[in-house]
Amino acid sequence: MAEFLFEALGISKSFPGVMALQDVSLQMREASIHALLGENGAGKSTLIKIITGIHRPDAGELRLAGTPIELTSPRDAMAKRIGVVHQERNLIPRFSVGENIYLEQLAGRPLKPLRYPELYRQSRKWLDLLDLDVDPATPVSRLSVAKMQLVEIAKALALDSRVLLLDEPTASLTPHETVTLFKVLKRLRDDGVSMLFVSHKLEEVGELCDQVTVLRDGRNAAHSQPLQGLGRQDLVQLMIGRKEQIADWPARNFAAATPALALKGVSTILGHRDIDLTVKRGEILGLYGLVGAGRTELAKCIIGQFAVTEGSVEIQGKAVKIASVADAIHRHGIGYVSEDRKAEGLILMHSVLANAGITVWRNLGHHGLPLTDGRIRSRIEPFVRRLEVRTPSLAQLVGNLSGGNQQKISVAKWLAAGVKVLIVDEPSVGIDIKTKAYLHELLRELSDTGTAVLVITSDMPEMITLADRIAVMNDYRIEGTITNTRDYEEMSSRIMSLIHRVEAA
Amino acid sequence: MQFLSRYGRTDWFGPLLVTILAAIIVGSLSPSFLSAFNIQVLLLAVAINALVAYSQMIIIAIGEMNLSVGAIGGLAAISFAGMMQVWHMPILPAALLGILIGLLGGIINGVIISLTGISAFVITLASLSIYKGINLGITEAQPFYGIPNLVKHLGNAPFLGPLPWLIIPTAIVGFGLWLMLTRLPIGRCILAVGGNRHAAELSGISIRLTVIVAHALSGAIAALAGILLCARLQIGQPTIGDDWLILSFAAPVIGGAVLTGGHVSVGATTLGVVIVAIITEALVLFNIDPFLVQVVLGVLILWAVGINRLREFRLKPLRRA
Repeated sequence: MAEFLFEALGISKSFPGVMALQDVSLQMREASIHALLGENGAGKSTLIKIITGIHRPDAGELRLAGTPIELTSPRDAMAKRIGVVHQERNLIPRFSVGENIYLEQLAGRPLKPLRYPELYRQSRKWLDLLDLDVDPATPVSRLSVAKMQLVEIAKALALDSRVLLLDEPTASLTPHETVTLFKVLKRLRDDGVSMLFVSHKLEEVGELCDQVTVLRDGRNAAHSQPLQGLGRQDLVQLMIGRKEQIADWPARNFAAATPALALKGVSTILGHRDIDLTVKRGEILGLYGLVGAGRTELAKCIIGQFAVTEGSVEIQGKAVKIASVADAIHRHGIGYVSEDRKAEGLILMHSVLANAGITVWRNLGHHGLPLTDGRIRSRIEPFVRRLEVRTPSLAQLVGNLSGGNQQKISVAKWLAAGVKVLIVDEPSVGIDIKTKAYLHELLRELSDTGTAVLVITSDMPEMITLADRIAVMNDYRIEGTITNTRDYEEMSSRIMSLIHRVEAA
Repeated sequence: MQFLSRYGRTDWFGPLLVTILAAIIVGSLSPSFLSAFNIQVLLLAVAINALVAYSQMIIIAIGEMNLSVGAIGGLAAISFAGMMQVWHMPILPAALLGILIGLLGGIINGVIISLTGISAFVITLASLSIYKGINLGITEAQPFYGIPNLVKHLGNAPFLGPLPWLIIPTAIVGFGLWLMLTRLPIGRCILAVGGNRHAAELSGISIRLTVIVAHALSGAIAALAGILLCARLQIGQPTIGDDWLILSFAAPVIGGAVLTGGHVSVGATTLGVVIVAIITEALVLFNIDPFLVQVVLGVLILWAVGINRLREFRLKPLRRA
């Protein structure tokens, strides 16, 4: 028996224009949990996709129990009992829980008739293992996000995997569900399964894992080290190459400031109840919550994409009715930077000019003058320059820019529109540390000029860096609002206890 | 009330209600509607149109569309008639070869779509033109008249009461599709690919193969529809299939199919065909301009899409249960 059950050695992989992984190695032992850490964009997902046969490495070798293996498709990996819980949703919404769990097996025998009672009976076993109390015949689309996540884990377990990869499995789980999951994972470890655990929550990693591999900019910052003896700060330093910094910005006082955006007892068609939330002029309010808590959904109700059913929305102290997104932008001065900038924020096949100018077309067109590039340019250029967007010209296609520069453009277009309230959803997904720090300064500066900013983020350090106050959301309600002291330990425990409190009740 | 809300959520309940209502209303206004002869005529139309609808339905299931169903059906029909007239081929081999041609046409669609990754809309638009062109090249727009009497008989005569022979192949195909989509992994794979292509791929389902299988089935079923229509019309008409496109989408949509894929119902699609047939029939019985059928069909599609939308919306609150 080889010392390591699974090894990835000297893996390199490049995509057009990006070197995603460079000489990365990872060695997983039997009966152990191996943490894979790294910032967004460090290459974790690429590595996982290589290990599960979705991508093929340009160089390097995968070994299972000491023998080199080639994986050309997800099926290959499954056949070698390498299972994975991907970060993105991986379920067929209209199929039942049981059928989703066994989808892999079904694909292998296309003409063997299905026997649902049998299928449901078998899937019960995996659901019980996860303490998940749902009927296997329920369609997945009826489940909560957290339950879907657990079904995905059940799906991976049902493959009877020897090597199990978990890409941020706890992102949408409550603390209670996380505890249950960890018990299961520890039991699997005792049964000999080798697991790779990807998480941003370093506390979890410390509690659960035995070894750790850290990626930074597509390279190994640490390679299969024992986790023992490494503290949170050490891990952060490995991940970002320097000490974690919560920017030491002075606290600001908004007692006298007037509210720019206020929600009073708001309920929405998407299921929010009794939302009270105030963002004052010049203030940054953070909205924290787990994935699926309803934060992005709330933002979309504020900008008029979905209806507010009860309560009142006040802009600059006046109760308003926001009927549409156009209304929100042009009449009320509310801008929304989407968390999914590729799908919702930018038109990748259009130029920088067209993207940043999209919010000013209507305004510029008012007097019946034609929309010339020159007129649009004069409106947006100051902002593009102020944000230091690195682009050869305004005619460059946005799709060719880096993630950070794309994000700057999605902010620039709102600055150009002159919004008074800016909602920023997960501002630093997929951008590097340096740009992230810069973006934070930018948002801070923006608020200093009087813009009210509502920041939605699941990144705790980011939240504690940016926010003046933090509102905690859970299950489509606001659980409480706390003033940010910028003390990481204190703030994170207070935020978690607000989410916990609900859990305990 | 609970009964209503439970059945209201199924795909077949609404169309069934409309079918019954339409039959009662038309039947009471025009008693000849329920005569044995009229029912036979109705079933003949349903037998062929149901196949047309199924051939599109299977492609809707994977979240694509097939604009070439009519062209494939037409090509198979004239091949069937031509092989019998020109080569004096016996009926069964001619029919099988006709279906094979359809199968091949579908496979070509599927292979090109899955290899190039270009949208099915464009590929089948092109193949529509190609298949139709081959049809016109062979026939020079002239029908084949040499259809054997047995085929003419099977294409029109009943075998029991008002039940025509043509209903038998359709029933077999319908049952087969239902079995496949609900009980066979290949059918579930088709729906999985339509429901969430990415997830299906990560679950080890071969997208390529699934897409090809769906298009192959679609082509074969369209060919069968063309052959049956040829038998029904008693000539190998080169224009067979020209007017199938709207109906092929209308019936699945009336039957609650989701055009983005992942959800179709064989039973409800069949009811959709029946509804269209009843309305067409009614317009004839009441001496209304048959061109109005097109308008009614259009309104019906809008109505069905609206109902589907409403049902989706009512299902939504259950999301967080």
